[in-house]
Amino acid sequence: MAPLSIIGKPLAMTDSPAKVTGFGKYADDLSVPGMLVGKILHSPHAHARIRSIQAAKALAMPEVKAVATGQDTRIPYGILPIGHDERALALDKVRYIGDNVAAVAATTEQAAERALDLLEVDYEVLPAWFDPLESMKAAAAWIHDEKPNNIEKEYHHEFGDLAKGFGEAAFVREERYFAGEVNHAAMEPHATLALWEPDGRLTVHSSTQVPYYLHRTIAEVCEMPMSRIRVIKPLVGGGFGGKSEVIPLEVIAPVLAVKAKRPVKITYTREEVFLAHRGRPITIVELKMGITREGKISAVAARVVQDGGAYCGYGPVTVLYSGALLGAIYDISNVRYDGFRVLTNKPACGAMRGHGTVNVRFAFESMLDALACDAGLDPAEVRRRNLLKAPCITVNGLRVTSYGLPECIEKVVERSGWAQKKGQLPKGRGIGVACSHYVSGAANPIIRSNMPHTTVNIKVDRDAAVTVYTGASEIGQGSDTMHVQIAAEILGIRPGRVHLVAADTELTPVDLGSYSSRVTFMAGNACLAAAQKIRDQIFAAVAKKFGCDAARLEARDDSIFAKDDPRLRIGFDDAVVLAIDFHGALVAQGSYTPPEESRGGKHKGAGVGPSPSYSYSAQVAEVSVDTETGQVTVERIVAAHDCGKALNPVTVDGQVIGSVYMGLGQAVQEEMVWENGRLMNPSLLEYRIPSTLETPLIESIIVESEDPEGPFGAKEAGEGSLAATIPAVANAIYDAVGVRLNTLPITPEKVLAALREKEKQERARNGAKGGAR
Amino acid sequence: MTKELIQLRVNGETREVAVPPYKLLLDVLREDLGLTGSKRGCDDSSCGSCAVLADGVPILACVAIASCYQDAGITTVEGIAPPGELTPLQESYAAAGGSQCGFCSPGFLISIKALLERNPNPSDEEIRVALSSNLCRCTGYMQIYESVKRAMAHGAARVAAAPAPVGR
Amino acid sequence: MSLPETRVLRPKTVEEAVRILAENGPDAMILAGGTDVVPNLQMKLFSPRALVDIKPIRALRGIAVEDSGTLRIGALTTLTEIAESPLLAAKYPVLSSAVGTIAGPLQRNMGTIGGNLCLETRCRWYNQSYFWRKSLGGCLKKDGPVCHVAPGGSRCWAVWSGDSAPAFLTLDAEIEIMGAKGARRIPLKDFYRNDGIDRIALRSDELLVAVRVPPQSAGRRGVYHKLRLRNSIDYPLAGVAVSMDVDAARVCRSARVAVTGVNPAPLLVPQAGEWLVGRKCSPELIERVAHAAIQTGKPLTTSASTPVYRRDMLRLFTRRALEQAWNARNDLPVSPAAD
Repeated sequence: MAPLSIIGKPLAMTDSPAKVTGFGKYADDLSVPGMLVGKILHSPHAHARIRSIQAAKALAMPEVKAVATGQDTRIPYGILPIGHDERALALDKVRYIGDNVAAVAATTEQAAERALDLLEVDYEVLPAWFDPLESMKAAAAWIHDEKPNNIEKEYHHEFGDLAKGFGEAAFVREERYFAGEVNHAAMEPHATLALWEPDGRLTVHSSTQVPYYLHRTIAEVCEMPMSRIRVIKPLVGGGFGGKSEVIPLEVIAPVLAVKAKRPVKITYTREEVFLAHRGRPITIVELKMGITREGKISAVAARVVQDGGAYCGYGPVTVLYSGALLGAIYDISNVRYDGFRVLTNKPACGAMRGHGTVNVRFAFESMLDALACDAGLDPAEVRRRNLLKAPCITVNGLRVTSYGLPECIEKVVERSGWAQKKGQLPKGRGIGVACSHYVSGAANPIIRSNMPHTTVNIKVDRDAAVTVYTGASEIGQGSDTMHVQIAAEILGIRPGRVHLVAADTELTPVDLGSYSSRVTFMAGNACLAAAQKIRDQIFAAVAKKFGCDAARLEARDDSIFAKDDPRLRIGFDDAVVLAIDFHGALVAQGSYTPPEESRGGKHKGAGVGPSPSYSYSAQVAEVSVDTETGQVTVERIVAAHDCGKALNPVTVDGQVIGSVYMGLGQAVQEEMVWENGRLMNPSLLEYRIPSTLETPLIESIIVESEDPEGPFGAKEAGEGSLAATIPAVANAIYDAVGVRLNTLPITPEKVLAALREKEKQERARNGAKGGAR
Repeated sequence: MTKELIQLRVNGETREVAVPPYKLLLDVLREDLGLTGSKRGCDDSSCGSCAVLADGVPILACVAIASCYQDAGITTVEGIAPPGELTPLQESYAAAGGSQCGFCSPGFLISIKALLERNPNPSDEEIRVALSSNLCRCTGYMQIYESVKRAMAHGAARVAAAPAPVGR
Repeated sequence: MSLPETRVLRPKTVEEAVRILAENGPDAMILAGGTDVVPNLQMKLFSPRALVDIKPIRALRGIAVEDSGTLRIGALTTLTEIAESPLLAAKYPVLSSAVGTIAGPLQRNMGTIGGNLCLETRCRWYNQSYFWRKSLGGCLKKDGPVCHVAPGGSRCWAVWSGDSAPAFLTLDAEIEIMGAKGARRIPLKDFYRNDGIDRIALRSDELLVAVRVPPQSAGRRGVYHKLRLRNSIDYPLAGVAVSMDVDAARVCRSARVAVTGVNPAPLLVPQAGEWLVGRKCSPELIERVAHAAIQTGKPLTTSASTPVYRRDMLRLFTRRALEQAWNARNDLPVSPAAD
């Protein structure tokens, strides 16, 4: 294959001029004449029946142009076809403090706030559930009538022979792990602007990762055909899953716009972002694992309870990911998984970077570290002894096509100085290792259909500009730039020649969305296919002109030439003119559907977990612990991520480092704090994402296993590294001060308590032996 | 409540607007002056996305009352470079990956500009401290620091923003 | 979140400011840097009829040493100016140490020392949005009958969350106040009332004009240790300031310890001075004073982190601060703590 000229080289993101000059528009930056401000009335009760809503006083205000209630949003929706249990505005019941009860559109923000105060809602308060383990036992007052015992979903999987597996183990551990609740905290709060066009069409600009699902949902709830609705994604200031399903304001704004017959913009406050939530749930993991004397994992069993909050959302998918990717990172033949997704009267949880794989990975990699210790083996070596050999199919039916984990482990062991440091750093300083993996998109779509997962159109016309139309959503991860690079590489032109039109349902074909890290693999492949077709059309015309076979041609540096005869050369612009003389405007379409063989098994819930390919990550964290305060300072994290092929090393590094940063936050300082269903810290002051002064040196190492099916061999880079960070830090703390924390976040208080407990036990042991040895 | 006619000097231009006297500088910039580059990321002045310069000093526009800043020379992200140009800092920011989703970038660029003007050669620790009022959720800060280092190496040369960048 | 409608008045002199405050009474609020007042306004914790922007009053800025040797810092001096002042770092290190930990650099650029000395007290049941507080029925400090921290009682336990006050307390500071009845000076320790609601002894017609440190406090070794979960942006969850005079024989000649972030007021640890004076450093003595610190500091569940941990850290930080101050070389300022 000819050497690549653009793929694999650093390239500034194509939208960076807009971002660094401040001229790029995010949803709240948009403004149109006559625009009204929309505000939402939130429920003060965790669980209550709505008896009545009186809006007369609010409607009497001259500034108020529309009021909406659940009567205007009667049709329920949800991201999963099996989970249409929420309404944009609650109809009969509210199910969490912060649930959406009514909304107003007024000429000013102040008037809208005053109007909210004038709405009179009569509630009948109901008993509420806040603890997932209690909620699962609920005999009555269920949150959803159709979900007895407040269990949204449960799954039970068993592969291989657990009894035999545990029987083979020389060391077995059984522990309980707890992960606190975390939020994406994307810097841009959600915002939606809905315009009611005079011809009865609705245009909705929204900060979303999933314009297509939003398009469908607005159509369903507003009872309008999709063909009369246009959804446009502006610049999005981060998503991380918090915008990967329809969020209530995205439906409320259109509903108000239709009622008021005027544009309506709703922008969430930061508090409302927390109340809309859809973050990572409180998770209790009861894990049992056995390893042989040689360190081979012989069996693993996990019982997982996820506190999903008040609505279904992605819930079943989250709890399935916990099982599907629990053991599939290594070669393990005996795996049992029991997963429970439970409802409580709190904001609903959803997909957050790494999804359901993160909290189980914390448990698994922490326990593996402990077992390695029990066996007197080096933890990095134990991982080496459990590696898969690709290509293969895991015991739970996941097809692995490329597997760069061995190289990831070697690279971080080397770069971190593992061998010199492990167990040898001064007391209070330690080093820990962990691994993780993730999907490059889900092989099975959320909504069952034969439609390709992505389609990309490309047009080239007489001006020789190349326009790529993609439905894929740029959310800061580099989606736009990826398309430009691929098209430019295939067509042999400068990236600056490629113009991208993205995420506008009127102009761009359907892409399922920016979630489960599917965009590079799927939209990239679609773009590649479309670009190849355009190239073929151009080559056909050039071949005819040169009188040669098209197979002799190559495109590079804005020219097309015969590989074996450089005198046969034509500039790209002229080649395009030639081709258009034959065809008219050049148009091509590429699409991508995951192959049948990648779609996994047939057991209940088998649809979640399979992917066309998986990324892998290995990390080493180095920490120092102040044993008097319990404060953990993470000094350095080295992360190696197998992304198949780094299409753009700058953006890949950025994604890996960003994933590690988010894992670090969850590991040591982020947590949503609840008091009886009331969120105590709905702010960036009290929900503590790390500032520059807590974030250590994070180093990204790119590993390229060159996946046979990825575009140029590429796999995902945006999520897979998050999960390993958490246990790497926990394991490093053990190396530093000899205590294992099984509860997240690992706060100084918990470390101090663990150190004191350890000291107490040591004194008791020494005392029992009749004095210190 | 009656609006007040206020004059603000923003990005070298004097602008006059009629606003409620208590309106926040961030909202006047975004709504009345069309300068939407400065962002609102939080409810309580804890994220730095709204940072602007007041007489060269980085402040948080979300807690500044506009009518109280009529004597200050305000610089927003839109005014960091002359029209059609990118400063070495902005170029480096783009090239090194300092901007992923870009939402926090205006605030960071303001803080960094102020830092480099006070101290053209800050140490790594000085950079971290100077940026410790600015939160980023995407980058983990590493590539932001890289951008700053590259900008420091470039010095004061101005680079024209190329509409069709060659070789990029 | 919109601000409540309010006039904004911009006096050019202290006299004008006082006149406006006297005319409007409790309906007026002083606006300096705004980093405390404005977020509270957005949360609808206050609805003043007038905001009195005193930033234009140049006379209220500046750090100066008077002929008598008294340090005088004008109330509108920004926290950045104080944190970066070489004079303060050299002669009043506890101040640089403390003020350098306030929030982050951008907040310090706007925040003023007067504002920091007059901060509104804080509590996780109080510093919340209008919706949040309304859903709960308010609290004793604002719009409600009950203190959610100590529901059985009738006191408000909102916490003093400023970092500069304890440092100034250890320097025996005094404040200058101007009001309708003229100027007055009081010791800073008398300014704080240790009540979550009625936190400072400042009448509605009064304005804090300057803070003064007596000559004998100059050159005291000092350091401030702050407990927070992030190393920037956050308010203190507990804080200890120590100032000490130590002679060539390492005998303590004077000592002050003050705690913050744990009570409705910053408080001096009363026994610290008398126990330490005339003595040489010893672990037992330090432990005794550290223990006294946690008799003074009584945190409740008003914030992140448990009261138990905050108390533990109060004791630990008192110990560390005393050790640092006692053992520091006379010619070096004690380095500010980054805990």
